[in-house]
Amino acid sequence: MGRYLIGRLGQSVVVLFLVSLIGFMILNLAPGGPLSQFALTPGMSQADIQRLAVQMGLDRPLIVQYIDWLGRLLRGDWGESFRDGRPVLAIIVEHLWATLLLMGTSMAISIVVGTLVGIAGAIRRYSIFDYLATVGAMVALSIPTFWFGLVAIYLFALKLAWLPAGNMITIGDGSVLDYLHHLVMPALVLALVNVAIWSRYMRSSTLDVLHQDFVRTARAKGLPRYRVLVHHIVRNALLPMITLGGLQLPTILGGALVAETVFTWPGMGRLFLDSIGYSDYPVVMGILMLSAIFVLLGNLLADLLVALADPRVRLA
Amino acid sequence: MNDNDNPIDKPFLAHPNRRQFLGMAAVGSAGLLLPWSLARQALAADVGAPAGRVTIGFSQEPTVFNPLMPHIEVDDGIHWNVFDPLFFADPQGDFVPALAMEVPTVANGGISQDGLKWHIKLREGVTWHDGTPFTAEDVAFTFRLTVDPDFRSSRHAGFDLVQNIEVISPTELRWEMSKSYAPFSSILATTFIVPKHLLSDDPNQAPFNNAPVGTGAFKWKERVAGDHILLEANSDYFAGPAGIEEVVFRYIPDLTVLYTQFKTSDIDVIAMQGIMPDHYQEAKGLSGKTVVVVPSSSVESIAFNMERPQFKDPIVRQALYLALDKGTILDALYYGLPTPTETYMPHESPYYNADLPQHRYDIDAAKKLLDDAGWKPGGDGIREKDGVRLSFTNSTTSGNQVREQMQQFVQQSWQELGVDMQISNRPPAVMWGDYWMQSQFDSVVVGINFLTGSDPDVSNYFRSDSIPAQNGGGQNTFQYKNADVDRLLAEGASEQDPAKRQPIYHRIQATIREDLPMLPLFQYAYVRGYKTGLEGYEGNINTRITTWNVRQWHWA
Amino acid sequence: MAMTTATAISVQRRPHWWQQRTLSRFLRHRLALIGLIVIVTLTLACVFGPYLLPHDELTVDLRARFSPPLTDDFYLGTDPLGRDITSRLLMAGRISLLVGFSVMLISTAFGTLIGVIAGYFRGWTGVVLMRIVDAFLAFPSIFLVLVLSAFVKPSPFMITVIIALTCWMEIARIVEAEIRSLRERDFTVAARLAGASARWIMFRELVPNAMGPIIVAATLTIANAILLEAYISFLGYGIQPPLPSWGNMLNSAQQYLTNAPWLAIVPGITITLAVTSFNFIGDGLRDALDSRSDLQ
Repeated sequence: MGRYLIGRLGQSVVVLFLVSLIGFMILNLAPGGPLSQFALTPGMSQADIQRLAVQMGLDRPLIVQYIDWLGRLLRGDWGESFRDGRPVLAIIVEHLWATLLLMGTSMAISIVVGTLVGIAGAIRRYSIFDYLATVGAMVALSIPTFWFGLVAIYLFALKLAWLPAGNMITIGDGSVLDYLHHLVMPALVLALVNVAIWSRYMRSSTLDVLHQDFVRTARAKGLPRYRVLVHHIVRNALLPMITLGGLQLPTILGGALVAETVFTWPGMGRLFLDSIGYSDYPVVMGILMLSAIFVLLGNLLADLLVALADPRVRLA
Repeated sequence: MNDNDNPIDKPFLAHPNRRQFLGMAAVGSAGLLLPWSLARQALAADVGAPAGRVTIGFSQEPTVFNPLMPHIEVDDGIHWNVFDPLFFADPQGDFVPALAMEVPTVANGGISQDGLKWHIKLREGVTWHDGTPFTAEDVAFTFRLTVDPDFRSSRHAGFDLVQNIEVISPTELRWEMSKSYAPFSSILATTFIVPKHLLSDDPNQAPFNNAPVGTGAFKWKERVAGDHILLEANSDYFAGPAGIEEVVFRYIPDLTVLYTQFKTSDIDVIAMQGIMPDHYQEAKGLSGKTVVVVPSSSVESIAFNMERPQFKDPIVRQALYLALDKGTILDALYYGLPTPTETYMPHESPYYNADLPQHRYDIDAAKKLLDDAGWKPGGDGIREKDGVRLSFTNSTTSGNQVREQMQQFVQQSWQELGVDMQISNRPPAVMWGDYWMQSQFDSVVVGINFLTGSDPDVSNYFRSDSIPAQNGGGQNTFQYKNADVDRLLAEGASEQDPAKRQPIYHRIQATIREDLPMLPLFQYAYVRGYKTGLEGYEGNINTRITTWNVRQWHWA
Repeated sequence: MAMTTATAISVQRRPHWWQQRTLSRFLRHRLALIGLIVIVTLTLACVFGPYLLPHDELTVDLRARFSPPLTDDFYLGTDPLGRDITSRLLMAGRISLLVGFSVMLISTAFGTLIGVIAGYFRGWTGVVLMRIVDAFLAFPSIFLVLVLSAFVKPSPFMITVIIALTCWMEIARIVEAEIRSLRERDFTVAARLAGASARWIMFRELVPNAMGPIIVAATLTIANAILLEAYISFLGYGIQPPLPSWGNMLNSAQQYLTNAPWLAIVPGITITLAVTSFNFIGDGLRDALDSRSDLQ
């Protein structure tokens, strides 16, 4: 086990290195670049753009730029944004917490609701409720988020004026209540999709547990229904959900890109999209490396958990 | 990046034009000398103590706060409020002194007869937001920093001609130019002065760049990246404090959401990129909102890459122009908002040539023109001549809905002519990178503000040595070459007298209208709006952004 | 490990999807059946429908712009250029469904191949392949989509390739996990002892037995691909005009949500309908291939 872990970690470092190399290369080789945004600026000419490229070191061979970037990264220096010149890590941390707030809330809602709906659906399989939940989940999964978000804004902000149309806080307010007020709509819109995912997984996971021997034994022993449900069924059905949660962790980093755009939420997804749009390579690379670390850890965790749960799968 | 959102705005309410352009020829290029009271009125609201807050929505995020570093127009929206230039161009195109006591001209002796020696007196008693006095040293520093080889300066043009800067006293300086260069006044009018004491060591990385300190009507308060920027009134502003206490700039990336937030009053002012033409009718009917149409000096055109064999024949360019149903495009797709044009020059400019031949839509004439010139339809209906097929791509920034509609409409019109135009749009970073700069396109739809400030010089776009694809330093990506235009441009730039410059720029416009390196479509007009009750809102065609004069705004 | 007999092998195997019980289970899954009917109908409508309509999808008529549904013979109204939405919707369906199917085929084939090889050869081959999968997974799909689309001229083909590039890893992981568990089963061991070649074992023994999860993942991939195409259009990198796709129809409609809501509702509902149907089919297949569902 220990050896396997060390091996996997070693492999992960290699993968991380490859991801950084490939990411850096395709990013820099892609047509465009950080200076193309200045193309039509009055008074700026090709001569200015060429001079800036030299000053920013963008004219150096790509491999030299990469080694420079990697060397600084290994010394803990993530570089500075091409856009506002601030340290990449500081920028990421700022946006990360906005995303965590939004994703955390919506995740909490979707886990609670999704779990309940999933269990209920499994216990009353093929009931009206189960059908409605299934259809509801499928439809929720299939609605494009940006479309749904715009409709929600139209309804709740414009027509009913119950909720703000977007943003994270009212400037100058910043109270908890104000946060919550702004959080409701994006969190619920995002949660809709996640409730669907969680309820589907929870349903099938509960079905798996329902027919296992220990449940029958518990029932045969005459334990009260809710005790069997809570102690035996739900507890065991939740186990695979941990894996799912682990696998969903990295998606937090990518942020809820669409929801953040529609609801003007200053999170990671928006930052990532803007950074790609303006070819802000240092920030893009920073987010890429962080998300790669998350994905690799998540995958490793999932593999370990599967191995622990299923002894037939030997770790090699 | 967004070529169509250079919000160089013109006031909605027409002011009486104080300038009698030709009559003032003797006064010099820089406009009337405004008496102090007038200048003061042009600078501040003059309505007592600052009060209230105004929230402004931008569809792009301002991120560059050092005004000398490369930035996009949305950053200007912050610079205008935190910093001051020596003088600036007001909506009528007249220069108004800001940090300078008066605008240097040949007439007042600020510029020597030969255009080589400049002399400026500065306002006294001006301080930076941190309390440090503002002096001529700061101006000299700004000039030097602009061309400092180690500094990531946005542009060198004009400043690379400055030499022998001499600080005479804390409020007086002079310098020489290595050649007479008339556009320099316009360049100065868009150059903000930065503090020497905060940028002396490593100006690329100074803390100043993220917490700017200026002399302007508003002080920097806070920035939440990705969300908003907050400024507060500078009670010590030299022209008297602004009418608004706090200004919030909100970043709202999606245009539909931007408009929705305007409707829900989450924002008070919808700045760039404003309200889409499709929403104009609806927006006019909103209660409690004032919706205005502000012209801009950006001109929309279909530009050709003149080195492509399809476009070498002037007959082809003329025929394509004839087959362009401009009227329908403007009326149906743009709701008649923009002004049709025949030139790159904004109509408000005193250099605008109003006598250019008017475009007409006549597809039969276009067909005949091509037939006569030997461009005959091939087997598939596409015209060809000497092995060159009239088939090409047309590109623009992807995601611009109305423009994509126009492309599809033009595509159908030209198909009728026997011309095959394929749409191949690209994301902005790709579109305006080498694809545009190195002339890798066939044709593009592009909105360009051809002028720097209010000066009529367009050497950057039309001189034959400005072609980047042919090792030029400018932005003549049309690869347009005309020896007459080259000569006229050089002549116009060195001439200081506006009366003598006017005929030169008229001829340049006439030649370009004849050569058609680009088919001029219209001069932009933007739909903007603000909450009724806000006063002092005014567009300015000589700036890139509608938030250039927030200092004059106030709530009724 | 004990020697196994031929009967033991068949007992160990999962039922094939074409087996009677599987099929009947699928047909009993009412939602899946509805989904199948919807998809077949939609596909037929997209293939033959445009020939029956009075307008084609490209003719611009600015006098007829923004006609609401049921104006004259514009059954679903017209778009901002006065083009018939019905025929655009069906022509767009050809592209969107084709993109969906092609992505499914490419990513399933590729993902299965990688997954089988990685699962069967467990030494360095497996490690290297799975770490490549990890590396691809480590790129957020939005990064791959945006950066790669900067390299290519957007066309239905390139968009298919780019979406497929972001979709195959899931399948590879699912297949690898499945194979890893199957290769220890008795029938595989028996085949190996009988001297069967690796290729024979992989593609004749293991893949057919892993078919269940593969088919399920494949249907879900189609659904995903259709949504991704819409999403790419939302970001402005999608299918180029004047060619319609469900994604770019929906995207170009968002600014007319208040004054011409049918522009957004028509493609929005169509996408939802198609994706939901594919998800139902996937769900039905999952139940049908899972013999436990008989126990109920």
